[in-house]
Amino acid sequence: MKTAGIVARKELRQVVGSSWLLLYAALFTALALALSYLGARNLGNLGFENFSRTTASLLNLCLLLAPLVALSLAADSIAGERERGTLAYLLSQPLDRWELLLGKFAGLLAAIGLATVAGFGVAGIAIALFASTMDAGTYALFLALVLALVAVMTGLGLVASVVSRTRVQALGLAVLVWFVAVFVFDLLLIGTVSATSLGGGGLLLALLLNPVEIVRVLAIIQLEPDLQILGPFGSYLLERTGATGASVILGAALAAWVAAPVAAAAWLFESKG
Amino acid sequence: MDEGVEPVLRVEHLGKAFGRARVLHDLSFEVARGEVLALLGANGAGKTTTLTCILGIVPFEGTVTVGGVSVRREGKRARRQIGYVPQTPALRDGDTCHEALRFLAELKGAVAARADELLARVDLVAQRDQRIGSLSGGMRQRLALAAALLADPPVLLLDEPTTSLDAASRREFYALVRQLRGEGRTIVLSTHAVDQLDALADRALILHEGRVAFDGTVAELGARTQRRRYVVSVNGTAAAFRQALRDAGIDAAHVREDGLRWEDILTEAAAGGHEQPPEGAR
Repeated sequence: MKTAGIVARKELRQVVGSSWLLLYAALFTALALALSYLGARNLGNLGFENFSRTTASLLNLCLLLAPLVALSLAADSIAGERERGTLAYLLSQPLDRWELLLGKFAGLLAAIGLATVAGFGVAGIAIALFASTMDAGTYALFLALVLALVAVMTGLGLVASVVSRTRVQALGLAVLVWFVAVFVFDLLLIGTVSATSLGGGGLLLALLLNPVEIVRVLAIIQLEPDLQILGPFGSYLLERTGATGASVILGAALAAWVAAPVAAAAWLFESKG
Repeated sequence: MDEGVEPVLRVEHLGKAFGRARVLHDLSFEVARGEVLALLGANGAGKTTTLTCILGIVPFEGTVTVGGVSVRREGKRARRQIGYVPQTPALRDGDTCHEALRFLAELKGAVAARADELLARVDLVAQRDQRIGSLSGGMRQRLALAAALLADPPVLLLDEPTTSLDAASRREFYALVRQLRGEGRTIVLSTHAVDQLDALADRALILHEGRVAFDGTVAELGARTQRRRYVVSVNGTAAAFRQALRDAGIDAAHVREDGLRWEDILTEAAAGGHEQPPEGAR
């Protein structure tokens, strides 16, 4: 574990200085700030509704940007080392493959997390200034959910990085995963449900298969359970299990999603040899 | 290897295949403490693959132990006892020399102060805070040697460390290797520098198509190959050269076509297949 920590610190220093992350941090902060300001301006003094709407907009921004950055930075991680010829040298050092992978995962997560927290922090200050009401606990929970999604996507990016021969291949795979998870998955499932009359179990499974959807539904349930915003899968779950039951199921699924990709990446990295 | 001296590196029945291509065939050798083994062979003979197997970077058949520790079972512990210098510089361009050494010192469990000490040893003090990307090839390889020495490992693996260097950098690097040899370090040096063997190594192991073609002392290798060897560079064709020899009344039966390398000559001569050592022309 100590070795993984050393790798993590090194990865954090490297990624924090990368132009990709700086761009993400700047873009995210600027957009978050704009959303907070516009939310307050358009909704006036609507109190908690103002806070909810602004936070929901911020969440949608996170669901779009954070996975893309996490996937692309993680995809570059191992594949980039391999392409630069530094991977074999790293592996010649006294460390195990899983330690290298876990270290990279932790370093990436910390770097992207820092950028996300910075964006959220600035937006939080703006919301506190502009909105008449702010629930700091809910806001912190949103941040935690976004960070969990970053962890999931970092793990998936590492899987792409381990299985790819080149950086371009890894990045291509990462962008494909992002596109499917953020844009295609919902449409595909709605089409499948319509065509196959998927039952309740099918609907639930469909929801749990997409971590972006899990975070979105979980966040909405915590904020303001609105059946229209929740979508067909979230609405089904909420009706069947209630808010607490849905939160427990989705929370457990998210935890599994955090652990599974990084474990899979470590296993693939180890077995690829 | 001397009888009764405990080997610090033991390779037994080492085999490696990449897909259908078998690169190493049942390789066995030992390196005693304080011995310098030169690993020779033409490109593709299996030198680098042998070293990567010793490091446990790739899966392999057979057994490799370093200081009695199995590379396959306890790779991390075994690698603690190895310092490795790769063929091409493999440290990140964006790091400074000191940053790179500090990170590797942490990984190896060495004290951070060793970084400055070793930068002085390889004459890179002035480049301490310079980015690796701005260093010359020779400086990078000296830095890699410093990195290899961080934890004062009992075994050094040097994989053709001077391949990409100019003559001056090569001389500087080999001077460092000679110093290390003088300190009694155990070194496996993969090299094409056959002319440096006497000064650099105690023993030579020649690989040919993944098999051991020769394993003996440098003196034995010299006795087999240096009796009558002529390496001639000609501007014209080998056929014209052969004709010129015949015209001069010299038997040209052993003149080889162009493209022949030192390693080929050594391999063939060391295998003892010639009453008269072959002459090379390229």
